Amino acid sequence: MIGNKRRFTLCVAAIAAASVFGSAFAQQAGDPKTYKIGAILAMSGGASFYGTVMSQGIKQAIDEINAKGGVNGIPLEAVIEDHKSGNAQEAVSAMNRLITINNVKIVMTSFTAPTQAIAPIADQHRILLMNGGGVSNSLVGVSKYIFHNRSLAADLGLSAASHLNASGVKKIAGLQWKNDAGDSIVNAVAPYWKDKGGTVVANEAVPQGATNMDTQIAKIRAANPDAIGLWMFTPETGLAIKRIREFGMKQPVIGVEFTPNDAKIAGTHAEGYMFINDYFAPSDDQPWSKAFAEGYEKRYGKKPDFYAANYYEGVYVIAELLKRGKQIGGDYMDAEVLKKALYSNPKFDSVYGGQMTYKPNGVAQKRVGLFKVVDGKNEFQKFVEVQ
Amino acid sequence: MDLLAQLFVNGLVNGSHYALLALGFGLIFGTTRVTHFAFGPVYALSAYGCWFIASALAAPLWLAMLGGVLTGALAGVFAYLVVYRPFERKGSTSLVILIASLGFFIVLENLIGVVFGTDTKVVPAPPSGIFLWGPLVVTGVQLVQIAALILVGSALGLYLTRTRMGKAVLAMTDNPEMARVIGIDTLRVSLIAFALGSAIAAVPAGLILIKDGATPHMGFLAVFMAFVAVVVGGVGSLKGAVIGGLVLGLIESTGMIRIPTEWQSSVAFVVLFIVLLVRPRGLFGGR
Repeated sequence: MIGNKRRFTLCVAAIAAASVFGSAFAQQAGDPKTYKIGAILAMSGGASFYGTVMSQGIKQAIDEINAKGGVNGIPLEAVIEDHKSGNAQEAVSAMNRLITINNVKIVMTSFTAPTQAIAPIADQHRILLMNGGGVSNSLVGVSKYIFHNRSLAADLGLSAASHLNASGVKKIAGLQWKNDAGDSIVNAVAPYWKDKGGTVVANEAVPQGATNMDTQIAKIRAANPDAIGLWMFTPETGLAIKRIREFGMKQPVIGVEFTPNDAKIAGTHAEGYMFINDYFAPSDDQPWSKAFAEGYEKRYGKKPDFYAANYYEGVYVIAELLKRGKQIGGDYMDAEVLKKALYSNPKFDSVYGGQMTYKPNGVAQKRVGLFKVVDGKNEFQKFVEVQ
Repeated sequence: MDLLAQLFVNGLVNGSHYALLALGFGLIFGTTRVTHFAFGPVYALSAYGCWFIASALAAPLWLAMLGGVLTGALAGVFAYLVVYRPFERKGSTSLVILIASLGFFIVLENLIGVVFGTDTKVVPAPPSGIFLWGPLVVTGVQLVQIAALILVGSALGLYLTRTRMGKAVLAMTDNPEMARVIGIDTLRVSLIAFALGSAIAAVPAGLILIKDGATPHMGFLAVFMAFVAVVVGGVGSLKGAVIGGLVLGLIESTGMIRIPTEWQSSVAFVVLFIVLLVRPRGLFGGR
């Protein structure tokens, strides 16, 4: 009888132990060996410059995090796919590969058309999307699970127009990319400018990847504006500045981007060019931004631009979400859980300095600055409120 | 009126650029009948050759331009010997060769990006100046673009009409089968066509490098415009290629005086469509 009691006690203890360890084991088994972060970038094609710097930012962040033991003791791993500079079909194929082959639950995306194309798939499979590059306002809310740590184009354009308005400019001309990003700026700036009593004397368009914009600039010159807005991105911004000055036009020129690539193309013609952009300028009083910039230059031999910074920062946001998600428990890599984790405290450290706050529309509000090229350097002028 | 004059000048500059490209592409296509779409990345490679010599080796720009021309010529010969010639020897159809050309286009374009990086390459522009004539503006580089067409076109014309090998190239352009029958070394002529055509394209490539910078993907538009100019001018006619390029540049620029510029990139398609519909053999094409 005693023996039976002992046997019974041992059985109960064994079952209890099994249930405790079994439960613990099940929780461990739910964790992946690595946290795979997918990224669909422009790794080839006409805009592969973007994919290069974005992927470099991602890799640097992942290496840094892994060197400190990963997230929840699990290393991060990047799985980078190519949308071939904005091809939506390629992006869809890449997204399907990430989900079915790599079992990815978090995808960093870029460009407007590819992001629009993969958004329904993200909704269907509950995949979290993190956009640090696409600027079109049409990306807001394109998926239930999309978040942006990039100021969107229309916000930047409106801030630029606001600065021109405050400077007393009445007649403006625009030179835009004929795509969703360029159109979204024009659609925001034109009504704003008319509302302020100004006139848009010309609005000319070039396709993304244009290498010749002389016709457009000749028409802008003939319209004789007080100032010119460049509603486009690299490398066309650099080329536009160069050609505008070569056409003998001395009006103020303002834009929404100026990368080192643009600076190289525009050369000395960039002097006096102003731009509104995400404010990434490493300085001694911002230790994280300084450390990132130094690390990036050491790894890649070039100074980081804000695209590299955005994707670097995006990985850190994802890492924080994984930590928070793990605390919530369950299938914590599910986008709904990660979304809940994000809004549990929408403030995140920003590599730009200070903190950024995710608004309810998924866009992180962070510092936007007005810069001016002086003696070949981008001099910060002031913060401009996003309109 | 001022705007129209400026657009005309711009069109002349762009047209000269297209005409030079069409000369190179037309010489290769007309002589060998190879639809050499990899002409685009070969053109880009010439610009990178020029950039490398000017930047990494710190050579003067004129020497770098010569290096770019040599790079182009060698790349053209390589393309023919390694990519097209094996298919020709096997008697492959022109469609197979066209597909091989597209494959080589992708490989070479990506190779340039991998080797040199994807950022824009620039060289310090020479102090060529900006000229203001009343309401007209033109830069020194743009004037050189027009002058390059005149010089290269004249030199090619002299070579083709005054030298034995040039006449052989013309004979093969006119009728490849007959050229073979009368004993012309068609392999040699094909090599010359590829070398010369690619070297000609290296001139506008170098000028674009100075003017706008070079990217791995600069060749796509170049080969497309060259192809359209050759078809518009008439396949097999080098005079037609030049005029086709100039017409394309002028229509693309002056046509925008009334049409919104967002339609500019469609102009080449419209011109191509009209020519194929109304005069399929092109402005100066033979039967």
